[in-house]
Amino acid sequence: MTQLSMTDQTITFTSESEVRQAARDFARVMAESVEFQAFMATTEKLRTDAEAQHTIQAFQQKQRSLQTLQMLNAVSAEDQAELDQLQQAFFSNPTTTAYLQAQENLIAIFQASADLLSQSIGLSFSAACGPGCC
Amino acid sequence: MDTSNPNLPANILAATERMAAAITSSEPFVVFNNAKAHLDNDSGAQHLLKRLSAVQADIRKRQMNGDVAQTDLDLLRAIQREVQSNPIIIDYSRTQQEAISYLTQINQEISQLLGVDFASLAGPASC
Repeated sequence: MTQLSMTDQTITFTSESEVRQAARDFARVMAESVEFQAFMATTEKLRTDAEAQHTIQAFQQKQRSLQTLQMLNAVSAEDQAELDQLQQAFFSNPTTTAYLQAQENLIAIFQASADLLSQSIGLSFSAACGPGCC
Repeated sequence: MDTSNPNLPANILAATERMAAAITSSEPFVVFNNAKAHLDNDSGAQHLLKRLSAVQADIRKRQMNGDVAQTDLDLLRAIQREVQSNPIIIDYSRTQQEAISYLTQINQEISQLLGVDFASLAGPASC
């Protein structure tokens, strides 16, 4: 603890090293959670699963190629059918769905703890530290 | 603090609460909360901020109707100058930036250990 005098009163602060230790303890507990472990495992599986990688790339490539036409609402029926098929393949691949589910679960637990943190400290943790929107 | 959060396992809840307590009593946050209390209790600063907000809202409304006069903009700039030179507001703004900067460092500490950006994933869905 660090003591400092502010105007007419002496206030005791938690030291920098204690705060950083609390942050490291938090990260360690989070890293050991079922949600984080599942996320890491599914991320690795996704990285090494050639079929899943092909499914993602094919879907993303088609999506990118139609981006401008989609904005103009001018995608042909054939292209839309192909995109739908690739999207279906993406969402029915067991590796990608396991990854997406694990990511969703991890985000839920991150959000719940960040919300609790924000309530307590009086500033939005994710708004203060996260990237700006759009 | 709500200790009955059903979305968090007990050990994560406890670690979050310990970290929240440590941050709240850290120097940047004590100083920031002190400045915030001064701002909340200063009627002059509160009046100035409300006036700024009202004039901004009025100009936005007028802009939609293409009805903004130079006197409106002059008034807005005059109030903005008053806000920017009010010591209570300046102190609040400066200490808030320092608290935010401190949170960014804490997030880096957490994210380095996890290997993913905690705050980005914890943020609300964007766009």
